[in-house]
Amino acid sequence: MKYIPLIWSGIWRRGGRTLLIILQTGVAFSLFGALQGMQTGAERAIANSRGDILIVHSRERTASPLLRSQLSQIGSVPGVKAVNLENALVCTYQGPANRVIAVAINADDTFLETLPEFKVLPGQFAAFSHSRTGALVSTGLASKYGWKLGSRIPLVCTTRQSNGSPAWTFDIVGIFSHQGLMALSDLVVINNDYLDEGRLTGRGTVQHFDVVASDPRQAQTVADAIDRRFANSASETRTDSLRELAQAQMQSIGDLGFLIHAVVGAVLFALLTSIATLMMQSIRERVPELAVLRALGFSSATVFSLLLTETLTISVAAAALGLAAASVILPLAGQIAPDFSVPGISMPASVVVLGLALSLLIALLSVALPAYKTSKLEVAKTLPGQKAL
Amino acid sequence: MSSVKQFLELLRINMGTVAARPAPVLTIVVGIACAVAVLISMLAMGVGALQQAMGDVRPDRVVVLSTGARSATESDILAEAAAAVRDIPGIRKGPDGNPLALNETVVSIAVRRKDGGARTNIVLAGAGPGLIEVRPEIRVTAGRLFRRGLHELIANEVCARLYEGFANGDKLPIRGADWTVVGQFHLSHTGGQCTLYADAAAIMSALHRDSYSQTTVLLQSPAGYASFVAALRANPTLRLQARHESEVVAENSSQLIGLLNFAGYFIGGIMAIGATLGAVNSMYAIVDGRLRELAILRAIGFASSPIVASILVESSLLALPGALLGSAVAWLFFGQMSVSPFDVTFRLAVTLPLVVLGVMWALAIGVIGGLLPALRAANAPVTKALREA
Repeated sequence: MKYIPLIWSGIWRRGGRTLLIILQTGVAFSLFGALQGMQTGAERAIANSRGDILIVHSRERTASPLLRSQLSQIGSVPGVKAVNLENALVCTYQGPANRVIAVAINADDTFLETLPEFKVLPGQFAAFSHSRTGALVSTGLASKYGWKLGSRIPLVCTTRQSNGSPAWTFDIVGIFSHQGLMALSDLVVINNDYLDEGRLTGRGTVQHFDVVASDPRQAQTVADAIDRRFANSASETRTDSLRELAQAQMQSIGDLGFLIHAVVGAVLFALLTSIATLMMQSIRERVPELAVLRALGFSSATVFSLLLTETLTISVAAAALGLAAASVILPLAGQIAPDFSVPGISMPASVVVLGLALSLLIALLSVALPAYKTSKLEVAKTLPGQKAL
Repeated sequence: MSSVKQFLELLRINMGTVAARPAPVLTIVVGIACAVAVLISMLAMGVGALQQAMGDVRPDRVVVLSTGARSATESDILAEAAAAVRDIPGIRKGPDGNPLALNETVVSIAVRRKDGGARTNIVLAGAGPGLIEVRPEIRVTAGRLFRRGLHELIANEVCARLYEGFANGDKLPIRGADWTVVGQFHLSHTGGQCTLYADAAAIMSALHRDSYSQTTVLLQSPAGYASFVAALRANPTLRLQARHESEVVAENSSQLIGLLNFAGYFIGGIMAIGATLGAVNSMYAIVDGRLRELAILRAIGFASSPIVASILVESSLLALPGALLGSAVAWLFFGQMSVSPFDVTFRLAVTLPLVVLGVMWALAIGVIGGLLPALRAANAPVTKALREA
């Protein structure tokens, strides 16, 4: 304890230099934290993602569409709590450049269960379920095109009406927000009944079903039961949980993980070189002062540990600052690219611990040699006024 | 002595004594080398992905999709509309006198990834007559082309690399029937996404489809584009939109390339800040070690500005070997590396413009890093510096 003032004055002996080292170390560890945290955080977000929400696709995706009649059959599979369906339409609004995706669903409460992040006022959702041509639009689209409650929006869609016309009209009865995947933010939600009665081709087909399992631990069993239910039928299914789909997407990042590690390695190597050389120079400059300490009766081990503590304090404090900055950046970084983002990334504790441990190691490596050399110097030859070194 | 002469003399002294100060010099070189190596290799991904994507693009090739669709998977072209496209004047004629217009219908099929075993979906294109004429870059390297009307398909080399079950003779289940892989092909620029072709008629009959996804035409000359687009626009009931192949390819790859470039500049930028801070500290260390010498020089008549200039040039000259070392590391380790992020395979491209960019960054780091130390060297009071040192 009594050494604290000594260590403190040692740290700020050359304040400018210390500040620069702290900044440099902080920058390095904020990058370390952002990169490593992105990877670990994404893995954790996937592990935490809903395993009880199942997506039922056709076994060959667009190849053979699912049928609307399968909805009740899926609903009767034991362990299924709620099921809804989705049909997506590619549309444009006032010209080919303004692309709008319309998703047709069954307007009942099961929809809100299968999409927990979907937020809409209960009154608006009720209005939506009572109006055939009603639509819920995302806040993003509403502000982009100035849509309001009660607006009629004409959309031109790839899916045609039974009279051959690609023009569809919807009445806005609600505006929703969606926390989570940004991919869902520019969306119009419509009634599947209206779409299905009105469309020229593909009537009665469904792109995929969304299912909630009543017991998350039984989700895999439920998924298998759904697929077995339709095995060897004309519309075979393939059921994955949201978590499995997220895992598949994570695997597709592939060798980028190697590059991230290479970058982290380069960052730490550059930092080690920098701190080590600065420590060497700093300690060399202080040899006369250290000799005074020795002359006053400090043992060489004490001097060594004083120097070590100084460097450790600087390095760990700077790393902590950098990691704190990284945990602020990280949740923002998850939102950069809509299709590749994993929502809800926050700084994992393991990365903070690893970062602090690495900062300790770097401090140890960079101070060990010069401090050890210094502690072995002959006091009489290195006192102030002597020709040092 | 003129300022220029003073400057040159100072620079000669600075550079002549580099060997005497290995530690700070090493810090600058290593720090900048790491920053430049990371910047170049990260940006080499974006460049490589772009080169790969645009590699097979032809100026006389035009892609027709339904209005609003961004890619073939979102597009729907009725058979009558596809027939109308063939009759538009300006399309090159094949050896049999028919216009070179290739109709494709795409389906997505489920495959298993080799790395990790996750299921994922890829696109299979059913191609009508004229595949090889409209896409002459297809070279069958093993096996043969699929035959019309049969359950056969061909795959490019990326499929077998990324997914299970794409060797010649392997069978792929689609809608309950086995489809045989009968050939492997290369495009002139290898890599990219896994590409599969089968016969359009066979696919459409197996899946009970009656519409295409995309029509690709070869024009008589690139100049015919405007009149082709005008002819299509003159017939709005077709609901079709024609675009240069390059536009469609660029739009489809823009998200991946934007993400890669953003990551490159973001990470490279943070590394550059770190390297700059390291350079500032090292240059301070160099200047501090020479304050007495510089004070003597000023006492005998050297002006401040040549001193500032000489130190700035010194730090830039120290940055240069760092830049070259970093470029060499990037080229050696990553120059030939092939990556497959998000199922797109491409080689990193360490190009000359990237190296030039790296050198510019390094010079900027050198100049900014040398600025404050240079000012200190020039402004330290001569008497104080002489007394203290």
